[in-house]
Amino acid sequence: MKQGFRDALRVLEDAGELRRIKKAVDPRHFSALAAQAKEATFFEAIEGYPSWRAAGALVSTRKRLALAMGCSEADIARRFEDGIRRPVDARLVSDGPCQEVVWQGDAVDLTAIPLPLMHVKDGGPYISATMVVSKDPEYGRNVGSYRLMYRTPRDTGIDLVSSSDMRRYYQRALDAGRPLEIAVAVGVHPYEMLAASYKAPIDVDEYAIAGGLHGAPVDLVRCRTVDLEVPADAELVLEGELLPIGWTADEGPFGEFSHITGDVKWNPIFRVKCITHRRDPIFYMLQMPWENDWLAAPVIEAAGLQALRIASVEPVAIRAPVGGCCYWTLIASIRKRPGEGKNALLALLSVAEVKLAIVTDDDINIYDPDELDWAMTFRIQADHDVLIIPGARGKHIDPSVRAWSLGKGGLPTTAKLGIDATIPEGVPREQYERLRYFAKDAVRLEDYL
Amino acid sequence: MSPLAERLVADLRARPRHFAELVEAHAAVAWRDFLRAWGEVRGLEALGRDEQGRYVITAPAGEEAVQRRT
Ligand SMILES: Cc1cc2nc3c(=O)[nH]c(=O)nc-3n(C[C@H](O)[C@H](O)[C@H](O)COP(=O)(O)O)c2cc1C
Repeated sequence: MKQGFRDALRVLEDAGELRRIKKAVDPRHFSALAAQAKEATFFEAIEGYPSWRAAGALVSTRKRLALAMGCSEADIARRFEDGIRRPVDARLVSDGPCQEVVWQGDAVDLTAIPLPLMHVKDGGPYISATMVVSKDPEYGRNVGSYRLMYRTPRDTGIDLVSSSDMRRYYQRALDAGRPLEIAVAVGVHPYEMLAASYKAPIDVDEYAIAGGLHGAPVDLVRCRTVDLEVPADAELVLEGELLPIGWTADEGPFGEFSHITGDVKWNPIFRVKCITHRRDPIFYMLQMPWENDWLAAPVIEAAGLQALRIASVEPVAIRAPVGGCCYWTLIASIRKRPGEGKNALLALLSVAEVKLAIVTDDDINIYDPDELDWAMTFRIQADHDVLIIPGARGKHIDPSVRAWSLGKGGLPTTAKLGIDATIPEGVPREQYERLRYFAKDAVRLEDYL
Repeated sequence: MSPLAERLVADLRARPRHFAELVEAHAAVAWRDFLRAWGEVRGLEALGRDEQGRYVITAPAGEEAVQRRT
């Protein structure tokens, strides 16, 4: 059975990972409150929005992401790989709860939704938990996640600066002088969010990937005003079009997934023509940057596993730490044959924008920072085990690439660093035999308390 | 234009501000009313940005637009 957004909340609550807040909260305070909670937050009452509730920070930690994915923390990449290997086609159904309430024409009013103001330098309130669907006459349906900035009761900004399939669809529509219809589903299961954020090949339907992750088809309903389909169990849907104005409207700044405030960008405008939602909707406030980071982790870790396998290196564990925004850093343990510490680094550093890779042997628990430090202390000789690759492709939002010093449209480059923390060739494994306490298994502390 | 939207325009004419600074300056206003007023300010098509991403009213477009709406 396919799970929905509310099932994800239930799983978190059952595991003691959801905090219910009963007192009415102003949407201006959602993010600051969620940032102080150790658990995901559920706002049961919202000041000025009596028919709404809101939830946030669902997958702000590796633990909560693993709970939502129904697997162990170490297995999120393999779980994700299983899903993309076995896509399940979506199924069209006649109706769904996401259309229980419909606002069209003059009734369209984004201010009726409890839009959160997240960060001190944001250009406005943002809808951060989007699953955006669009269609191209040649390439077919596409789903991605794109943030939306409130502008007016009918318009939002959308960040379409980076290269993506939807950017390509928009460019093609623009070239033909027509708007691009889109529909935005908010409040879907984390599997749908993962599928949306996954850079699937242009001819692959991300709904089928979400189906593969669920192990069951995603039920879709037709939108009311655009020729698109959205998950029937979504909490909220915005239908409309990206105006054919190109990259001309100010959007941002926004607190980015890099944990830093981004710049003002020039982007298209999304004009909302219809809003549909459940009778008792829950607004999903995706808490930046943590949820955005963790949604990237299974994708980047799966890419790392794949790169290692292509390089004929046997991976044991892999981790994209949140300090590297689950995007720029990969740490892997491998079952090593001579030389493979370096092969593994070359493979990992080829993944997306990864700029720091660390490789250890399989006796190191890479989820334990102390063990990792220990391996980095005693298995590294900096003149042999550190690899620096200058001049590789970089990403603008990394301040160290100094993107501001490039001319308009200039693309930054970055150096990449690899650290081979495997036992050096020629050093016998016995040199690393760990201390063992005498009589450890013979005595028990409890017997002496 | 609503009195709140007029006040927001006056705030921005006084000096550039981040969106959150405007929100803080009118913290007692219900969020929905604030968003509606912000929509009106946007509608004037007189908003610009400074180098730090703060909102500014672009004169003279701002003057004309406000006069037209009031
Ligand atoms: C929560 C979240 C928000 C995102 N916001 C944006 C965004 O605003 N702009 C963007 O270009 N990519 C954004 N991404 C990344 C894209 O969703 C991702 O690159 C996706 O693969 C794009 O899909 P597409 O190429 O099929 O259109 C976001 C990802 C997540 C998880």
